[in-house]
Amino acid sequence: MELVYPAGALVILLLVSAAFFALVRERDDLHRLLLTELVAIMTLGLIALVATDLAEALILPGLVVAISELVALSQVYIAKEGLAARPAKVRRIEVMDTAPAIVAAILVAYGIVLSGFSGGAIAAAGLVFYFMGHGHAERFALLEAASGYAWAIWIGAFFIFMILPAYWFFAVLIAGGAILLKVMVKLSLIGTMRGDPDV
Amino acid sequence: MFSLPTGQIGGRELFVVEFGDVVNYFSPYTASLFAFALIFTVIVIISRPERMVEIAFGGDAYLAKEIPTKDLAFQRFMAIACGLATLAAVVSGDLFNFALFTSMVGITNIGIVAAVRSRHVLNAAYQYGIVAMVATLPLFGAAAITLATTGSLSLWELYRAGITVPFVAKAFLVLGVMGEGMAPFYVAKAEITRAPGAPYILMIHVSSLLVFLRVVEIALSM
Repeated sequence: MELVYPAGALVILLLVSAAFFALVRERDDLHRLLLTELVAIMTLGLIALVATDLAEALILPGLVVAISELVALSQVYIAKEGLAARPAKVRRIEVMDTAPAIVAAILVAYGIVLSGFSGGAIAAAGLVFYFMGHGHAERFALLEAASGYAWAIWIGAFFIFMILPAYWFFAVLIAGGAILLKVMVKLSLIGTMRGDPDV
Repeated sequence: MFSLPTGQIGGRELFVVEFGDVVNYFSPYTASLFAFALIFTVIVIISRPERMVEIAFGGDAYLAKEIPTKDLAFQRFMAIACGLATLAAVVSGDLFNFALFTSMVGITNIGIVAAVRSRHVLNAAYQYGIVAMVATLPLFGAAAITLATTGSLSLWELYRAGITVPFVAKAFLVLGVMGEGMAPFYVAKAEITRAPGAPYILMIHVSSLLVFLRVVEIALSM
């Protein structure tokens, strides 16, 4: 630890100065936005250098902050430049009309059995496949609502952890169910990215 | 049960709010910052937005600017979110939580400015956003360096006399807050102040002032 931490910090410092140098040199607005992401990754490196379990827990909020700022800035950039999405042609494949429902049902059922983060990922794979096969237009609002409720339930479980720690098992079950729903819904949005408007 | 180490500038704690090992505290200093942020959040919730009037130069004509309700609603939502983030940042008892809420103040500030549909204001918001995003490096870096050298993020521990926080961590913290929470002061003040939507735009200034006062307390005490 005595030698590793200063050495790692020195490496990060060099990389940070490279990123800042690039940021100063760059004149194009879009490229500067991409370079800020480089700086954000250096931030994660600086947190990861702590190398304890706590650091692992701190990386996730750091990542969320970086991504949310990136998304907000991208929206500002789109509004600033007056960009609009081009309608894309969607390719029709016959097997994609029939197969998704069965495969998705199996994967979602298996994901619910697994529960938690990994279960959410498995169930999401099924939903991604389903939405890629079918349209999503009328289900989009429903997905958003489900995601919102799952988030609220998840936060509620965290409040049980903090305020009533004696009921931790109850909170674990609630959080496991909610994170399943949350991860599933969020990942399934990938399946809707087929060039439709509002996605 | 909890007692703040003596000699820190905020005064003794009046009462604490305990979330597991994260213990928020209200000292006379942080409580007055909290009260100020609370009053302003309530003002943003109940007040009606101003209608901007531009006077034509050289005559007695004037024109009122029409702002769509949808934009105003978004701006108001962002201003309230900014107020809540400020409330949490000024009483936080944990360095990492303070960094998180400060960056949330930064994000909501971008949102408040970006709701204005004017090319100049959007340009200013974009430049401010880039500064805010780059500032996450010193802000979270300060928390990470503090954790690595002292082994704790709790301000209750860091305020103790026996624990020395390295100078670079303090400098990073102040630098990060300057970029994240206070950027409008020097990046785009003129453009942002020119933007319509009075009580909402002012939330940017209130939040940056309060977050700066809080970081002064933290940097001097630890």
